[in-house]
Amino acid sequence: MGITRGLVITALFGIVLFLLIPAYVPRPRFIPGFAPPPDMWPRTVSMLGMALGILLVGLSFSRKTEAIADPENASAIRGDTPLATLLTRFGWTILAFALFIGSVMLLGFLLSSILLLMAMLLLTGYWRHKVVAAAVAVALPLVLYLFFSSALNTRFPVGSLFRAIGI
Amino acid sequence: MLNDLLVAFQAVATIENFLIMAAGIWGGVIIGAIPGMTGTMAVTLALPFTFYMQPIPSILLLVALYKGSTYGGSVSAILIKTPGTASAACTTLDGYPLAQQGKAGKALNMALYSSCTGDFISNLSLIFIAAPLALLALRIGPPEYFMLMIFALTTVAGVSGRSLLLGLVSACLGLLLATVGEDMYGSFRFDLTVDMQSGLAVAPVLIGLFAIPELLKIIVFRNNQSHKPMQLGDNRVTRDELRRSLKAMLKGSMIGVVMGAIPGIGPSAAAFSSYGEAQRSSKNRENFGKGELEGIAASESANNGCCGSTMIPLLALGVPGDVITGVMLGAFMIHGMTPGPMLFENNLNEVYMLFIGMLFSSILLFGAGKATMRFFSHISRIPPGLMAPIVLALCLFGIFSISNSMYDVIVLLVMGVFGFFMFLFAIPAAPFLIAFILGPMLEENLRRSLALSRGDPSILVSSPITWLFASLAIFVVVVTIRQQLKKAKA
Repeated sequence: MGITRGLVITALFGIVLFLLIPAYVPRPRFIPGFAPPPDMWPRTVSMLGMALGILLVGLSFSRKTEAIADPENASAIRGDTPLATLLTRFGWTILAFALFIGSVMLLGFLLSSILLLMAMLLLTGYWRHKVVAAAVAVALPLVLYLFFSSALNTRFPVGSLFRAIGI
Repeated sequence: MLNDLLVAFQAVATIENFLIMAAGIWGGVIIGAIPGMTGTMAVTLALPFTFYMQPIPSILLLVALYKGSTYGGSVSAILIKTPGTASAACTTLDGYPLAQQGKAGKALNMALYSSCTGDFISNLSLIFIAAPLALLALRIGPPEYFMLMIFALTTVAGVSGRSLLLGLVSACLGLLLATVGEDMYGSFRFDLTVDMQSGLAVAPVLIGLFAIPELLKIIVFRNNQSHKPMQLGDNRVTRDELRRSLKAMLKGSMIGVVMGAIPGIGPSAAAFSSYGEAQRSSKNRENFGKGELEGIAASESANNGCCGSTMIPLLALGVPGDVITGVMLGAFMIHGMTPGPMLFENNLNEVYMLFIGMLFSSILLFGAGKATMRFFSHISRIPPGLMAPIVLALCLFGIFSISNSMYDVIVLLVMGVFGFFMFLFAIPAAPFLIAFILGPMLEENLRRSLALSRGDPSILVSSPITWLFASLAIFVVVVTIRQQLKKAKA
């Protein structure tokens, strides 16, 4: 775990340092006075992050210093559940999030929220209590929608589908 | 001065003023407790109403909302691990574990006692030491600011997880994310989309980092345990527990007063610094992060300790320390009062009335907290399998309403997934958050210092104040490494 984590952290900061900063942090041709350029700070932080990642990898090799780098055994959180099951549940959740974002412009914020809430209740296993779960999934977004629209004048996306049928 | 204060007392002690302050406190507590709704939002929304009010009641309403929301943030932090405000993020570290142990009421009570203590001490400091503290704050330039923030960051990185290294990694990630958007000289960085040019707002990052990973944990590591509702159980804070936490509470209040008086630092950094100090000096330091009342006392006293002292630079120098005091500056000016040294000459009566009103609001905060606690405590009885989706809905609507933008909602969900990976890798979220909040100021002050010194980095250790903060940062790092090595040997 310690080595994997160290490598992931090093790679993450490495990508920022060698790929993202050159591409997305432009250096102006002229900088007034002695002000440092805009890429100075992200570069410094990325280099520090990479150094910490390498240090984490290094410390993980020695049992004596491993405790500093890897304070807890992350596999304990997983329990006996097979990795495939965990990944499937995670995948469904991400898919639900992505569908929610994608459907807001089509179905509107309210209906998309109701559907997302239903999906979440299904995934957490609470859908067994069908009546309570369905009531919460429908009533809560509706109450929040009315509250924010009237009290704070929030304009939630109505959705092109509803707009097309004149609602 | 005493005579003036007595006259102000008589002027403030009216039913109308009490009702206004009570409404402000209650409203603030409720708004602060809702994830996604912040004290800034509460104060900004109330500002138009103050146009039609007398000057002092209007400022008292805004102050009451500010105080109420600062305490209210701890309610959701303790009960659903979703800090209502950034300054309550530190309270989740011990508050939520206590709620899981069936001691939600105890945690809420301790948060209330600490908030009121911090608030009261902060108000007293505002009355008696506003002028000297404002002068000290005035002497803090870019290098001093930079070192102060480095100290705050090392403290947070050292205490909020079990490994200093992972805390520092987390802080680096937060610092890096804070660079997204426009920098101080108008250059755009990491603007992968047009929306990203405006950077990332604190609220979606904060809530995404703390609330959404809880939902993901329940879904991914689903087990029968997660469907058992938490019990209210042990609700009272015993005299012994209160005595044990008193030191952390008083120290936290003082840390809050000092850090609140420095413009821009704010209650989040104060809460984490106080937490770090409490952990370092406590006999029960092993229990921190597992449900230690001293941890709640330290963070809550410090964040509410800022409420009064953030008014110090505003009143004494006319410099708003944060967005909320910026809004208050507007309220002062609407009513024909200009904060700054002349305020004490031209509007002395109003200033004393404000001081007295703020003291009253501490007492009202206690009453409002006690009255709402029973109601809020019932939240912990909702099973997590139902609660987590409810929190998600609150977050989605709350975050969208901040700027009427789907971009913030996307940031919320992406940060949630990122927070879940941080949890899997045992990287603490707190240093990330505090680095994200302080990051822009840290960079700005570093770049300003280097511009002033024509690129010479020795400016960062050029004054006694910078030396003080640098020494404190090194001290924290050394003590943390020593403690971790000792633990590793054991």
